Amino acid sequence: MVTEYGIKFTVNLINNHFGNLVAKVCENLLRRGPLNLQLIVRYTELTPQQVKNSLLILIQHNCVQAFSYEQDGGLEDGPKSNTQYMALFNNILHRMRFSKFLEIISREFDDKCKELLEGLLQHGRLTLKQMVERAKDMAERAKSRKIEGICEDLVQESLVKLLTARYVERCPASEPVLAARDKEETPAKKRGPKSARTAEESQTLEQRVLAAAAPMGAQRFSAITNNESSVSRETSTDDSPGMRVGAKRKYDALELHIEPAAEEEEVVLWRANFEEFIRCLRHKACIENVRERLDDGAATVLRAMLEATRSFENKVKTEKSVPLSLNNIFEEVMKSEEGRGMTLDRVRASLVQLGCSPSARGTDESYKIDLKKIIELAQNDEVESIVLKRYGRDAYRMFRLLSKNGCLVETDKIANTTFVEKKDAPKILYKLWKDEYLHMEKLVVAGARQSQFLLWKVNKPCLWKHVLDEMFHAALNLSQRVAYEREKEKEFLNLPVDKQIMSQEERLNRLKSVRIVLESSLLKLGDAFMLFHDFEESSLLKLDDAIMLSHDL
Amino acid sequence: MSRLQGPSLLKRKRPDSNSPSVSLTEHERLLYDLIQSKQDMAIWTRDMKRETNLPDNVVTKSLKSLQTKKLIKEVVNIQNKGRKHYIATEFEPSTEITGGTWYAEGNLDTEFINFLKKHCVKIIYEQKVATLEGVLDTIRRSRAFNIEFTTQQVEEIVNVLVLDNEIMEVKSNGIGEFGSIPVGRVCYTCTNKGGNKGEPKIGAMASIPCGVCPRISLCTPDGIISPKTCVYFSKWLDF
Repeated sequence: MVTEYGIKFTVNLINNHFGNLVAKVCENLLRRGPLNLQLIVRYTELTPQQVKNSLLILIQHNCVQAFSYEQDGGLEDGPKSNTQYMALFNNILHRMRFSKFLEIISREFDDKCKELLEGLLQHGRLTLKQMVERAKDMAERAKSRKIEGICEDLVQESLVKLLTARYVERCPASEPVLAARDKEETPAKKRGPKSARTAEESQTLEQRVLAAAAPMGAQRFSAITNNESSVSRETSTDDSPGMRVGAKRKYDALELHIEPAAEEEEVVLWRANFEEFIRCLRHKACIENVRERLDDGAATVLRAMLEATRSFENKVKTEKSVPLSLNNIFEEVMKSEEGRGMTLDRVRASLVQLGCSPSARGTDESYKIDLKKIIELAQNDEVESIVLKRYGRDAYRMFRLLSKNGCLVETDKIANTTFVEKKDAPKILYKLWKDEYLHMEKLVVAGARQSQFLLWKVNKPCLWKHVLDEMFHAALNLSQRVAYEREKEKEFLNLPVDKQIMSQEERLNRLKSVRIVLESSLLKLGDAFMLFHDFEESSLLKLDDAIMLSHDL
Repeated sequence: MSRLQGPSLLKRKRPDSNSPSVSLTEHERLLYDLIQSKQDMAIWTRDMKRETNLPDNVVTKSLKSLQTKKLIKEVVNIQNKGRKHYIATEFEPSTEITGGTWYAEGNLDTEFINFLKKHCVKIIYEQKVATLEGVLDTIRRSRAFNIEFTTQQVEEIVNVLVLDNEIMEVKSNGIGEFGSIPVGRVCYTCTNKGGNKGEPKIGAMASIPCGVCPRISLCTPDGIISPKTCVYFSKWLDF
């Protein structure tokens, strides 16, 4: 779901991180869909060099994926017009979650792993050699001199750990080739909030490109490279990726910056695997939601189940957890500290609380949990709390009734069921409808006396999209306010001392509190985005692992 | 309301009179018979005029006199509070007119409803889990009300409590708290609010000004309403 304010917000993110030129290129790609170099130059009115550099930065940071179409014959005017660049909305959005990703790593692994991931997040993509150099730099700065060999070993060890846990992956192919048959439907597709359907179509294109670019299943998380020694000969520095390549042959100037070395030997680039982080955060969100709605016991059981089956589920947004037998669940529950006090009966009761009834598989009863349902409940909670705050208690009740029913209900019936005064009900419903929270239909009954009824319902797909757009809008507002507060502060500091109303200390304290409030709200909103955006869409991953889903433990 | 007998009834003057001994004028008699014929459904003044073909001032005058003779009374129809409805004194208005137990004089009796709601929550809270019948039974035994509630009425209250997110529906599994309730029966339990003083959790969006802003659709980065000029923001960030 890419909405108008979604684009504005992500462009703002890019603007804050990489400046306005990169943001301009990015915005055009987000709004118009995949474009080739000439078109980007035309639309952005930047020089080709500026566009190239911007694209290099975006590719380096995994925000843009290049691809091309299979050529039919010599009718095209050369390969240079054939490379398409596609902005990856999700990956740009992930940039606001880096702190969360790091938190996950620092909880599960040691500092070395955290440093490694930090490097990857900061630089987008790194070779092993670059990671080693970075680690050395860090060690030197920390003044704890270590022997180089050990440093390299340590980095490699951390990398293997993160690869095994799938938090790091091999970078995708720089320019996968798509079969030509889809060529017509893709160029310069408009992607806007108004054309929900086309946005969906281009998502399938996005999926196809990503699938084509992704390394083969086993290779993706494999630390073994054909020639690890190539690392020593590779010299690129990450901070200026554009500089060296800019001067390269024109038509493939937008290949990755390590291209020169690639001619001689294969160099493997690594990056953070956002999918795994999102999956992890999704599980966490489910567990926390269950804890809030039910109790600690249910949360413990759910966590144990998800942990036990982690290696078996490979879709980011699995709808149901992998089936587990009661004994297996119990065994896993016992592993955690809070689970040790639970009896088998308690575990079974929690499973029932979680809404899963045993399905007989063979001789053992096995359980699976409907994660999609949990996510749905969390989404409902979020929207309902907006309705409550914005429209009041009566509206909240009416909205919940319609949301639960899921079908059209007549005004008077709503008023009766929710105990709302008959004359107030239409007013409240109208307000909700005007703000796009409800869908309304008129029903005219021709009888002895013609009468008109108004029927209302909650149209979830539409509403969710609307709410998500409002959230993006709110997030954009928060980040702009942060910028504004900073600016104001600068102005204040430039004033002569006698004109300053508050003392410096007071001002700084105020700014600090303001930023804490704004930034923590932004983080919380980020979680809500995930709920409506990242946890929702269908998975982008390959299906070969899905076979494992049916694996019976 | 016109679907009853129609004009034929009106032309006939009723000879029998179990009606009061008070003497009535011809017009009053006509109107009274019409009103009485509607029984507990009452009738709207406009409909009377249409059915009797009497001029406005005659109807108004006759109604007044019938009222003073205590033969008819005015009732509020909750479907249309603005329209004057009359009913013969010997009838009590039907629930369709009054709105039933939950209405008092044509208005939703919120005080009564809220009291009953609180009472139900208390019962469910004390019993941890309760079935509808359990709640009804407890209410009956408590004698806190001088009205006898029907299952349907309590069900309506319980349903609205579910919509309020005060309680939630669960199915009995026959274990623990559900021990006394047959497996599969629908019961109610208080929602877990994480000790937040009984208030539901406020979502990420609802906790910032933009989430509840009535003007969000007019707010743009450089517009008249913008995050820089926003009064709600200023209030929120006033430290």
